[in-house]
Amino acid sequence: MSAKKIHEDQKYIEGLLENNSFIIQAIYDTFVPKVINYIKQNSGDADQAQDVIQETLITIYNQASQKKLQLTCPFDAYFFLLCKRKWLNELKKKTNKEVTINEEVLSKDDDSQELAFETSLFGEKQALFNTMFQQLGTACKDLIKATFKIKSMEEVAASLGVTYAYARKKKSLCIGKLTKMVQESPQFNQLNY
Amino acid sequence: MKEEDYILFENYLAGELAVEEKALFEDRLETDAAFQESFKTYKAVSGFLEHKFENEATTNAFKSNLKSISNAHFNVAKNTSEENKKTNPFRILKYAIAACVVLMFSIFTFNQFNNPTYSDYNSHEPMTVVRGNVKDLIEATKAFNNEEYEKANSLLKKVLENDPENTEIQLYYAITNIELDNFNVADTELNKIITGKSAYKDKAFWYAALSRLKQRKIDATIVLLKQVSEESDDYKEAQKLLNKLE
Repeated sequence: MSAKKIHEDQKYIEGLLENNSFIIQAIYDTFVPKVINYIKQNSGDADQAQDVIQETLITIYNQASQKKLQLTCPFDAYFFLLCKRKWLNELKKKTNKEVTINEEVLSKDDDSQELAFETSLFGEKQALFNTMFQQLGTACKDLIKATFKIKSMEEVAASLGVTYAYARKKKSLCIGKLTKMVQESPQFNQLNY
Repeated sequence: MKEEDYILFENYLAGELAVEEKALFEDRLETDAAFQESFKTYKAVSGFLEHKFENEATTNAFKSNLKSISNAHFNVAKNTSEENKKTNPFRILKYAIAACVVLMFSIFTFNQFNNPTYSDYNSHEPMTVVRGNVKDLIEATKAFNNEEYEKANSLLKKVLENDPENTEIQLYYAITNIELDNFNVADTELNKIITGKSAYKDKAFWYAALSRLKQRKIDATIVLLKQVSEESDDYKEAQKLLNKLE
């Protein structure tokens, strides 16, 4: 395996994971002004910039926590690309509004492009899974919540008043149902191309 | 997929398949594309749910901390722009006075006053060689100070190739590109300085603004002018230009 060298900016990722206010503050002081500038120059305002930045940091946090995200490029380029991509997607959604894009400098660094792409894909998938989860029936939702929160399937079964075997089977079927809903959604095929 | 396939997925992920069952399962993963596709999605969905519910408390703690830092950051920005608004009546008065002065002047001078343009501001500080005494750099300096921007441009480009991290050279190279209307190159170079930590950051904001001014992108000019910090040499000039544009 050819492991890529981890960039020293990994400290920002670790800081986010640890919910370290000092690091989060440093990210806002150091990297956020550039993003705000970019969004303001491209048909956005400060409030929209605030949302894009916040959501991007949550996506990074989620990926770091779920997938052990390892930064192989500077945080600056990675973060800017992610916010930019998110903002362009937002703009696309407002189909009627005419959009003027100011193509600013982008890092031509392949690592940051690749990593940012992975993270935004991860974020979009998460959002899709979440939407689909909300559309599941209440029984499935409750059972899934219980199995992941309580961990012990025996306890889950007891708390729901069903047998262990039934709870277990039901869990696979509920996640199976969610899997099917996800696979059948048009967005999923776009993400998986 | 059939119901039993999902049950199989779950058992496999839980590590609860017997050795032969496991071998059979992995064999099918390799040969049955639809089965593999579904399993991949099942695994991803399952990972998502696990993370969502197991770490709900820590994630929420992170989100609320993030939100408060974010609000603080953006409120500071808003407050400063509100302060600017508060000074508006005063600024209107200044406008009024300025307008009268301009009007009076223009009566006498047949209206030679126009909107601010780049050429009102392009009297650059002379370039001085700070580091090294490479021949190209000296030539570049001469050319730049004689306003031979094309020559300076190609020389500076060469110098930068050997010394790509030199912010001072980046800045002068950017200026020559503004002069030559190579705005893409100029803005790229300036952005490098802006996002870095060098002492030329404010200068870079100022020139980035001038570049937009030359491109008649007034909104972008205003945004960039506002980034020029109060301590910088160009602050006064930036404020003056801002007043003219806003």
